[in-house]
Amino acid sequence: MNDQLLSRFSFFERILHWLVGITFLLLLMTGLAFAYPALFWMTAVLGGAESARVLHPWCGIVFGLGMAAMVGIWLRDMFLSSSDWEWLGAVKYYATRQSTRVPPAGKYNAGQKMFFWVQGVLAILFVISGVALWFPDVSGATVVQWMRLLHYAATLGGGLFLILHIYLGTVAYPGTARAMIDGTVTARWARHHHPRWYKEQTGS
Amino acid sequence: MTDTLTIRRVSASPQAYIPLEVLRSGTPTYAKLVDISKCIGCKGCEVACKEWNDLGIEPTANFGSYQSHQDLSPNTWLLMRFNEVEIDGSLNWLIKKDACLHCEDPGCLFACPAPGAIVQYTNGIVDFNQENCIGCQYCVSGCPFDIPRFDPNTRKVSKCNMCVDRVESGLEPACVKTCPTNAISWGSKSDMLALAEQKIETLRKRGYEKASVYNPAGVGGTHMMYVVPHGDHLEDYSLPSDPTASPAPMTALGFLKRVGAYLMGFGLLGTLVHFLAYGPERLDEHEEPRA
Repeated sequence: MNDQLLSRFSFFERILHWLVGITFLLLLMTGLAFAYPALFWMTAVLGGAESARVLHPWCGIVFGLGMAAMVGIWLRDMFLSSSDWEWLGAVKYYATRQSTRVPPAGKYNAGQKMFFWVQGVLAILFVISGVALWFPDVSGATVVQWMRLLHYAATLGGGLFLILHIYLGTVAYPGTARAMIDGTVTARWARHHHPRWYKEQTGS
Repeated sequence: MTDTLTIRRVSASPQAYIPLEVLRSGTPTYAKLVDISKCIGCKGCEVACKEWNDLGIEPTANFGSYQSHQDLSPNTWLLMRFNEVEIDGSLNWLIKKDACLHCEDPGCLFACPAPGAIVQYTNGIVDFNQENCIGCQYCVSGCPFDIPRFDPNTRKVSKCNMCVDRVESGLEPACVKTCPTNAISWGSKSDMLALAEQKIETLRKRGYEKASVYNPAGVGGTHMMYVVPHGDHLEDYSLPSDPTASPAPMTALGFLKRVGAYLMGFGLLGTLVHFLAYGPERLDEHEEPRA
């Protein structure tokens, strides 16, 4: 029974995830290149400095549209319930692998929900500040300066959460990443990480 | 005239923020001094600038001013602005030579993310290297005098380079050379400051009691200075009274970038440490279902 596979993410959800993931990575690399001269060589991922400057905003549009679609399909799953607040209170047990002391999660645990909300808000900040930086002659000098600050602050937040997201989704919890590759997880994985969802899916 | 093109500062590099005392090795710096009271508005300097820098003609139309064009452009690095202002009940024709002021602390260079796109030579000249420019226009937002202009066709930004190629060969900039009334002087910064004092003395005797030199401290002083007859009416000349090379959001950005580099580094390290402490989670074969 434990080797049984449960379907976790649809084809469309996986396409969206990687569309947003790849564009965000390209945006992060070129953005850090523009922020840190020591990382300027990373503009190479979009074909060099000048083309990176041209393509970065267009990548941002794809990223923004992808995020909007994600919010559209996942929003109703992401509201925090009372047990989610208990989960957040017990996050230190989650981080230290004392899983018996963590309230059982549904399809998404409260950490994943928080990730959704944080990245959603950051995406709005990215797009607003990004558009202002894309058209500096419309924005004016003072607005450009403040938007550079906001755009960087969003990058810092998004970058830190991305590190956590990749770490937790890959090496920290083996068996998780396949949910975004072939769309399935093992029943054992589901029972351990998302017991309430496991119950809904299997009826046991 | 040796050592005129030694580079002092380079955009988006550790050299951008090195204190001047360290960078300066006693080499002379040049300055232009524009005596507004001696300008007759002939615009010969505009023509000389276009000719020497091969900038080409830009069509213009009468817009109700003596001014040749309405604004600077990627191909117009120098524009004489004519402002009609009433001071003490009489009409004054205030002229400003609008071009790069070559700040000692260049806001454009500090704002630039592209290594080597903006350089400052030890002689004080601030120059754009278009081959390194990525067209982001951050320099435009960094300039407190609104001087650099973006060309959407080439996606590069341009501005007055103080005829650096002439200066390198021991010549004065083209606008200085052509001025028929010697309203523009050229020499070492200290000589030009001394000359400015003399000119101000003369203007005060002639009744311009508020005459002053425009060499704003907020950008560390400039390498194009003005002798302003109505020193209490800077804004009427389109001269910002308190320009700065380090506006608050840019100072905050610089600080946040330093903090952010540590945070992202510690974030990566933190996951590594967590992994070493707890490793990959192994699911127990006989784990009891919860909930």
